[in-house]
Amino acid sequence: MHQPVPHEVAAPAAKLGRAIVVTSGKGGVGKTTTTANLGTALAQRGARVALVDADVGLRNLDIVLGLESRVKYHMLDVLEDKVSLDEALVPDKHSPTLVLLAAAQSREKEDVDTEKMRDLVQNLREHYDYVLIDCPAGIELGFKNAVVGADEAIVVCTPEVSAVRDVDRVVGLLGNRFKPQLIINRLRPQLVKKGKMLSVEDVNAILRLPLLGVIADEPEIIITTNKGEPLALRHEGETASAYHAIAARIAGEDVPAPEPELKESLIDKLGSLFGGKRA
Amino acid sequence: MAGRRIVLTSGKGGVGKTTTTANLGAALAKRGSRVILVDADIGLRNLDLVLGLEKRIVFDLVEVAEGRCQLRQALIKDKRFESLSILPAAQTRDKDAITESQFEAIVAQAAQNADYVLIDCPAGIEGGFRNAVAGAKEAIVVTTPEVSAIRDADRVVGKLNDRALPMRLIVNRLRPEMVRSGDMLSVEDVCEILAIELLGIVPDDAEVIDTTNRGEPIVLDPAAKLGGIYDKIARRLEGEMVPFTTFDSQGFFGKLLGALKAG
Repeated sequence: MHQPVPHEVAAPAAKLGRAIVVTSGKGGVGKTTTTANLGTALAQRGARVALVDADVGLRNLDIVLGLESRVKYHMLDVLEDKVSLDEALVPDKHSPTLVLLAAAQSREKEDVDTEKMRDLVQNLREHYDYVLIDCPAGIELGFKNAVVGADEAIVVCTPEVSAVRDVDRVVGLLGNRFKPQLIINRLRPQLVKKGKMLSVEDVNAILRLPLLGVIADEPEIIITTNKGEPLALRHEGETASAYHAIAARIAGEDVPAPEPELKESLIDKLGSLFGGKRA
Repeated sequence: MAGRRIVLTSGKGGVGKTTTTANLGAALAKRGSRVILVDADIGLRNLDLVLGLEKRIVFDLVEVAEGRCQLRQALIKDKRFESLSILPAAQTRDKDAITESQFEAIVAQAAQNADYVLIDCPAGIEGGFRNAVAGAKEAIVVTTPEVSAIRDADRVVGKLNDRALPMRLIVNRLRPEMVRSGDMLSVEDVCEILAIELLGIVPDDAEVIDTTNRGEPIVLDPAAKLGGIYDKIARRLEGEMVPFTTFDSQGFFGKLLGALKAG
């Protein structure tokens, strides 16, 4: 486990913030959604949080936060000294201590100077308690630029064989320096029960990583993502609570890690009532 | 005559490129075509897993490019279909282990002995994307009805346009009940934004996760609804006019719930 680093909201930048890259290898497992929700949950706890979209050319973190119409400048403008970092940071709509550094949409990953990227993250760490870096899919240059400034990693994995294989590869590439911790995303307890989905134990029997939390698959995530209102803005509901618990764990609190519970839906009840096959 | 060379791409990861490649390839093979699937995701290969062929890999794409083996030695025949084989990607190498022209040459060679070469493109628009696209003469853009996936697909459509590649669209993981409740973009919305011709609509089905984990293409299961959908996409690809399935029906449980609520 990592050493918990207590943060002091009002304190000036006497102590460096933590730079955490959110990565997975495989795309579409929920890196961006996880970054937005953890950033929101950490900010709701009072921490100063900077979110960095490292997916140059295919940015999406602005959409998930509902900030797409407020993005004026992006990371490459800062790296190329066109604007200051302060000018490029977009304040979040909902959480006063949360800011976003957007990626450039019409540029390429090759345009990023890796060393300057490291300096940029270092600079952010001087002013924020947490710098969460949303890594692009894959293990090419975009991945290298996303991890260069980070000192910790959160790996996001879905309970699918292909995602587990990709995460395993990424953990191998990261090595020990990043102390990778695992979030299992999009678990469907119903499918696990039927033996049609890998369980949390199955996934971690292969990956063997410290488990930060488990997030259930639920349509509400798609809806809130499309609306640009992270689920972690709420304080009730299983999934919102799961994000808040993960944020607390990142902050060093010893909170239990409840797994998504198996809930019998109305449809399932009706199914069994009528002798249907839906378990 | 050399076969068609089609790249399946999306920009965003996890929208179903690999699953679509495997199932569309299986559907085409089932219809009698000779099909070669090429996994272009060097370092993060998965097409072998989705088809359950991971234990049979001997050589890979990079070894073919480096001249360490013949293309035919690296191809793995899928025993369930006589005319389907895959060329696996290397797992422990990087995307820059192969050049665009090497990739293009391998795909062209594969097309000499196949009716269809389907190229499973990695996520993103970096070197792996450029390799995969370099080998293709046509593209299938796969997207899901989500704002982020569509934005990424739009960026990819622009890049494919620059290369003058003809392209068609598959909208994957549609949840008709969410479209009806206004919580998901409709197929019409997606087509309007991307402005490319529609090739297929695939509904979200939990069954896919299971068959993918088990390495069995869903087209092999005669009871699976989705099997028929991939067959229709294959027929459209072959030039047949096949009407699109509409997902208006609420199904038995939906109707039952509606009746209960109305009552």
